[in-house]
Amino acid sequence: MTRLRRLFLAPSVTLTVLLFLTPLGILLVYTFLTRGAYGGMGAPWTLENWVRVADPLYLGILVRSVLAAAVSTLLCLVLGFPLALFISRAGRRKNLYLFLVVLPFWTSFLIRTYAWMFLLRDTGLINTLLISAGIVREPLPLLYNYGAVVLGLVYGYLPFMVLPLYAALERIDSNLLEASSDLGAHPWQTLKRVVLPLSAPGVRAGLILVFIPCLGAYLTPDLLGGGKTILIGTLIQNQFSTARDWPFGSAVSLALMAAVMVLLMVLARRHGDSLL
Amino acid sequence: MNRRIFLMGVPGLAGCSRGSLRLNIFNWSNYVASSTIPDFEMETGIRVRYAVYESNEEMLARVLSGNSGWDVVFPTHYYIEPMRQNNLLARLDHSYLPNLPNLASRFASPAWDPKLEWSVPYMWGASGILYNPAIGAPPAGWSDMWDNRLQGRMTMLDDPAEVLGAALKKLGLSLNETREAPLRRAQAEALRQKPLLRAYLNAEVRDQVVAGDVLACQAWATTSQQAIDAAPHLRFVYPAEGFALYADSAVILRESRRYDLAHRFIDYLLRPEVAAAVVLQSKAATANQQAYNRLPPGVAALPALFPPADTLARGEWFATMPAAAQRLRDRLWTEIKSA
Repeated sequence: MTRLRRLFLAPSVTLTVLLFLTPLGILLVYTFLTRGAYGGMGAPWTLENWVRVADPLYLGILVRSVLAAAVSTLLCLVLGFPLALFISRAGRRKNLYLFLVVLPFWTSFLIRTYAWMFLLRDTGLINTLLISAGIVREPLPLLYNYGAVVLGLVYGYLPFMVLPLYAALERIDSNLLEASSDLGAHPWQTLKRVVLPLSAPGVRAGLILVFIPCLGAYLTPDLLGGGKTILIGTLIQNQFSTARDWPFGSAVSLALMAAVMVLLMVLARRHGDSLL
Repeated sequence: MNRRIFLMGVPGLAGCSRGSLRLNIFNWSNYVASSTIPDFEMETGIRVRYAVYESNEEMLARVLSGNSGWDVVFPTHYYIEPMRQNNLLARLDHSYLPNLPNLASRFASPAWDPKLEWSVPYMWGASGILYNPAIGAPPAGWSDMWDNRLQGRMTMLDDPAEVLGAALKKLGLSLNETREAPLRRAQAEALRQKPLLRAYLNAEVRDQVVAGDVLACQAWATTSQQAIDAAPHLRFVYPAEGFALYADSAVILRESRRYDLAHRFIDYLLRPEVAAAVVLQSKAATANQQAYNRLPPGVAALPALFPPADTLARGEWFATMPAAAQRLRDRLWTEIKSA
């Protein structure tokens, strides 16, 4: 039995080690090397890259990225919860609505982000409509600011919130809701004391699935933020491109991964198996 | 009989040699005409794998390993010396490049490769200010990009060398400054400018200047000419304080095992009609004098692409940055972005 199990596990274990752990190991080795003059890296061995990660400049960028990711994740939850609740109660239309939620994945994320730029520009659709309707006289500054970045992140990762929430909400036995109402609970009370606690695993899964990619996002902050702010994803990308400092870029990305891992472990300890 | 001579004998048998002869070209995006590669394949029977990159760093990261599979790449001039030092480049054989004398005289012996031993200049460019005349008094220099009047309607390039370069020029310093104190002064200028800017944008600024969202921007001459083609009322100016110059050159990688075919491709690009077709489509300035001579008068006289000699004299070529200066500049840039 165990031999059979091993046999079946062998391909995925091999893939994980080869394609996931090995590159990670290489990245870790990079962080202890010195940058090459023109990219790449070489001797001597050094701890300098890790010392630099702790520099207030880079810590500040990390904090700013965590805040942006947290704000976006919470907005996703606020928007996603009612939507998931609606879909889970939609009866025969459920599948259609779920299909609509994942529909955006059919086109490239880059193209969808460009579409947002066309919507938000001074001469974009929204401003043109507002001006021609006489609501505003000067175009609103919708693009190239913090709000545009958060909007892009919320838009991009909302489905990752809705799907686990839907899965959790759908599983709730409707008899429980009836019982709650029979015992005299107001719908709001039912929501607060029955639906929310029972959907907590879905909420946690959604928060994690949205927060982590938001934290590492680099395309959205760059395109919708207009390069006026720097988030951790852009910082890492810069180290591998214009700065040509691969060891430092590796150190920053591993530090980011470590921070996320610690966060997940804390959550896992508190919630045990119900996490994800 | 070597492969080159064999090839010369069978251009008519292109169909037969198809598949056996391949050449891998890695170039900047929008740097050939749509007919450039198909015509070469048709004429020679060589199958070309053509891919594009968006930055020198992207290209270098790929070829640094020494077994990337590419034969010909197009680094910017200040990357040639580092690539040569890293043993990435093959020495050129001028006997395979009969079209080499077509180059303009100022590219026949450039400072970065005086004998063209390693590289053949292909296209060159500069950065300046693209603006909409609706702003009134036209900008004359970089200092006009610090004008409160245009708050929120200006952009700079999203490139540390260009933004710090413009600030250094505004201060009357060299683009290629490596000392900390002058670089800090340039950073202070850039920090002062940041609140006035809408964004830091590269080529994507083109559509926004054309649409009128952006009224003045730091832009590459090529991007600017493309914008002017779309909206002829736009203007481009070479800043009075000086500006950055760069040239992209064809090189053959040392790892290439198709040395002869690679030379053949580079020589093909040096043909006047081939290089002229690239200019017409990509709106980049060619380093090829014979190609320039063939351009229609309307294109040859475009001031953004082919400025007069006295304007060009204000330009300064980007230099290779020493590692320490590169790191300092990256830090200054990250501080600007974080502010």
